Amino acid sequence: MSEPRSLPATPETSPWDTTEYWGPTDPEQHPAVRLVRERFPDAFQEVVVFRDEVTIRVARPALREVVDFLRTHPELRYNHLTDITAVDMLYLRERPRFDVVVQLYSIPRRQRLRVKCGVDDGEMVPSLVPIFAGANWLERECYDMFGIIFEGHPDLRRILLPEDWDEGHPLRKDYPLRGYRDYVQPGYESPAPRIRGTLRRPGP
Amino acid sequence: MIDFSQPTPVILSEVRQISPTRRELVLNMGPQHPSTHGVLRVRLTLEGETVIACDPVIGYLHRGVEKLGESHRYAQFVPWTDRTDYVAAPSNNLGYVLAVEKLCGIQAPERAQYWRMIMAELTRIASHLVWLGTHALDIGALSVSLYTFRDRELILDIFEKFCGARLTTNMMEIGGFSREIPPDLPEMVREFCRYFPKAIRQYEDLLTENPIWLARTKGVGVIEPEVAINYGLTGACLRGSGVNYDVRKAMPYLLYDRIDFEVPLGTHGDVYDRYLVRIEEMRQSIRIIEQCLDQVPTDGPLMAYESQYVIPPHKNVMTTAEDMQRHFIWVIKGFSPPKGEVYHAVEHSKGELGYYIVSDGSPIPYRLRIRSPDFVNLQSLPYMAQGAMLADIVALIGTIDIVLGSVDR
Repeated sequence: MSEPRSLPATPETSPWDTTEYWGPTDPEQHPAVRLVRERFPDAFQEVVVFRDEVTIRVARPALREVVDFLRTHPELRYNHLTDITAVDMLYLRERPRFDVVVQLYSIPRRQRLRVKCGVDDGEMVPSLVPIFAGANWLERECYDMFGIIFEGHPDLRRILLPEDWDEGHPLRKDYPLRGYRDYVQPGYESPAPRIRGTLRRPGP
Repeated sequence: MIDFSQPTPVILSEVRQISPTRRELVLNMGPQHPSTHGVLRVRLTLEGETVIACDPVIGYLHRGVEKLGESHRYAQFVPWTDRTDYVAAPSNNLGYVLAVEKLCGIQAPERAQYWRMIMAELTRIASHLVWLGTHALDIGALSVSLYTFRDRELILDIFEKFCGARLTTNMMEIGGFSREIPPDLPEMVREFCRYFPKAIRQYEDLLTENPIWLARTKGVGVIEPEVAINYGLTGACLRGSGVNYDVRKAMPYLLYDRIDFEVPLGTHGDVYDRYLVRIEEMRQSIRIIEQCLDQVPTDGPLMAYESQYVIPPHKNVMTTAEDMQRHFIWVIKGFSPPKGEVYHAVEHSKGELGYYIVSDGSPIPYRLRIRSPDFVNLQSLPYMAQGAMLADIVALIGTIDIVLGSVDR
């Protein structure tokens, strides 16, 4: 009887590991990392590279200044705001609770960059609407889904959910998948039965 | 008793306090209006026939797809991506599976990548045909929709031949395709490529120099290039303004760097330029498909095999013990990508479709974010509508090319 073979291991070198777009593999040499670290020595917190994607983490109050610096600096020119979203880090760390994630893209230089900042409940993130008009709805969605408040946003109200939705923010990790209420479909007397114990999150 | 976990801060900004003067009228358009392409609702403030403010109200089709993605295993979410942008389902599949493959560090075989490109370009044509038909229908050219939907059927037939479904195809899988390509499919696609340029000429005969079409589209809804970039627009909305950004060229995924094609650019940034850009994109898609058909290997694997992230081939599951174990584990437990986060974007027919996945090392995505192109593109509607005529609003909604399943997610 032969030993059962184990699962094939993940290859060491990934086909996605290319250095085509931003040059050196050392993140310290990345121009955005270098320049932001020089310009904002206090606000710059860390840089993470995963699958050739560079993520820099900055302090929350400096987010707008950093993004504006990345947008206007002649060597960087991250002029396209791709996305703003948030991640509820409830199960991953103690504090701060959320990460606000800003995806930037530079059309002239063909590079992506991700800028993150941590924010706790009740704290305010500087809004990016004064810099990028396209941040408007993305921040509204972020507020709608996570309850993160953006300081300086001209029109922060719910966007996808109804304006009088009073059940909190559904993409938070402590929000149940089927909501807090039992909804009764018109024409039925009782709500649909809740399936117990579905989709529990297995540990990492 | 309802136990709310946290209070909701209620913020009413000053923009909300609409106080129309005696000369102004607030008009509600939608969500059941035929020209809003679904359930878009637009609140218009009018002075006479001039629009002075426009506030799109979305969310009528919100299903919480991101929340669902955070409670399904990686492979279980692929059918949900069909339901976001339901007129271009294979492109959504493609964006998601590429993001997961990037996260896992695997890559589909060459033959599967070519077929993915063929299917993505066919999807682009199908989506543009729906857009062209409905957009022209809104503006008043009824007959164009008959032509475009006639030709879209041919593409849906190809999809049906390939995967059995026409609309929500669930076509791509993580690692490639698990079904073999039907032997007569390449000839079907070639037949379509031979036929379709004639069809484009028919649409252009109907529209491009039609004086009514020109009067309704030229100079309407102008977006300057700086404004387009500032709004974060992508796709034809950005390229119609003359900004050269196409994900297929800028950051080539799949094998687009082996293909020779051009990115059409507009000059004025109005509705007519975006129409021309999309028409030319359909021609370029035909070019891409023809080159793919010439280059694709006729046999070879369609599914990556060397890793634990991919479902093993059916034949091996039935014959070898290891692959039966792998299959069992893959189906019952799912697979666990490494910890990390990726963002992968593809050039969808409507713009840049990005999937941002945060993995905590468990078989379920910790965070799954869909950056849908039309959600961001729709933000430019208030800008374009400012000072426009009421009758132009339908042209402006049509030119953004929205699908509400993708806007509301």
